[in-house]
Amino acid sequence: MRTVDLIALLARDVRMTPAGAATRKLLMGLAVGGAVTLALVVLGLHCQPLEAAARQPWFWMKASYTGLLTVAAAITVRRLAVPGRRPGIAPAVALLIILAMIGLGAGQILAASSATRLDLWLGHTWKICSPLILLLALPIYGCEVVALRALAPTRPAVAVAAAGLAAGALAATFYGLHCPEQAAAFVATWYTLGIAAATALGAALGARLLRW
Amino acid sequence: MRRWPRGIEPSTVEPKVDIEERLRPLMNRSLAGDADAHRQLLSALGGHLRSYFARRIGTGASEVEDLVQETLLAVHLKRDTYDRALPFTPWAYAVARYKLIDHLRRRHRRVHVPLEDAGVLFAADDSEERVVQTDLDRLLERLPDRQRTLLEDVKLQGLSIEEAARKRGVTAVSARVMLHRTLKWLNRAWHDENG
Repeated sequence: MRTVDLIALLARDVRMTPAGAATRKLLMGLAVGGAVTLALVVLGLHCQPLEAAARQPWFWMKASYTGLLTVAAAITVRRLAVPGRRPGIAPAVALLIILAMIGLGAGQILAASSATRLDLWLGHTWKICSPLILLLALPIYGCEVVALRALAPTRPAVAVAAAGLAAGALAATFYGLHCPEQAAAFVATWYTLGIAAATALGAALGARLLRW
Repeated sequence: MRRWPRGIEPSTVEPKVDIEERLRPLMNRSLAGDADAHRQLLSALGGHLRSYFARRIGTGASEVEDLVQETLLAVHLKRDTYDRALPFTPWAYAVARYKLIDHLRRRHRRVHVPLEDAGVLFAADDSEERVVQTDLDRLLERLPDRQRTLLEDVKLQGLSIEEAARKRGVTAVSARVMLHRTLKWLNRAWHDENG
């Protein structure tokens, strides 16, 4: 087929194209995947008594860690989802958020007496925390990949790793509704590990899925 | 392969700002549904893509033309990822560079495509198309009859969608949907075939 014929063909397929497709598709992916994960947490794991928890600083410490990380990662995904945009400062901000949390956790461990350190670090649920966050991230990750496939990431491997990070962070935010752990050291370790696993899995699975 | 220095190759430079000023309004009109602007935009891009790819992969005419067509199809199908508040040429360059990298990788060549200023895509223009058999011809043969006849009516006989639909006794809406799906299928099949 000659290229001029192809162009004539493509010109027959022109319609009004609404603006803001990338943001809309990605937010839709986060919303749908997030709804599934939220339902899994509320119906499957059950929430801790939220009224009491919401009066505690540790509840908001966890929510702001994972919530801010979700925002930074989602902005990174948005920028990498279309051609010609650089990721900007969002990935650096995400890294800073993680480092700040690790710093907080490390400070808590250093300040604690040696008798309580291990309890602070491991809590009661360290074995299940990271795997659950990884599992809960899967629906969100899947929906983000579907959205990215409809867009045009020119650095697919990085875009999909950022999607894994966003999925892990949002899943961890919802998991915080269930998880009664209070220590910064616990969150800095096991939450972060679950989120990191989601990022790594996302990067490993996704790059092949995203070719366009 | 000759490597250009960072920035713009000196001799054949059209000032980049002119290109931006020429193409961006075309893109905006195309997004508003203006088929004529879309055609002008893709024709202009085609010339730039042809000379950019030829510089990068040598002058194997059919390989270059395949890549031009694949990129134009991607520009068409992914045009909703262009943000109207931003310049158009960096978007177009990023699509072209992505397609070039993807193409080289599929052929297991060592991939090094430096990230340059978008000007390299628009540094030269080769609007003279070589007539070659392209991958698209092979893919078209695999289409179901209904879709192929629709494409041929529109492509070879230059019918509008409405005329082609009437000729085949389907509604214009379903012909339109079929054309769009076929274009998406072609884009996907290109990948699946070339691994």
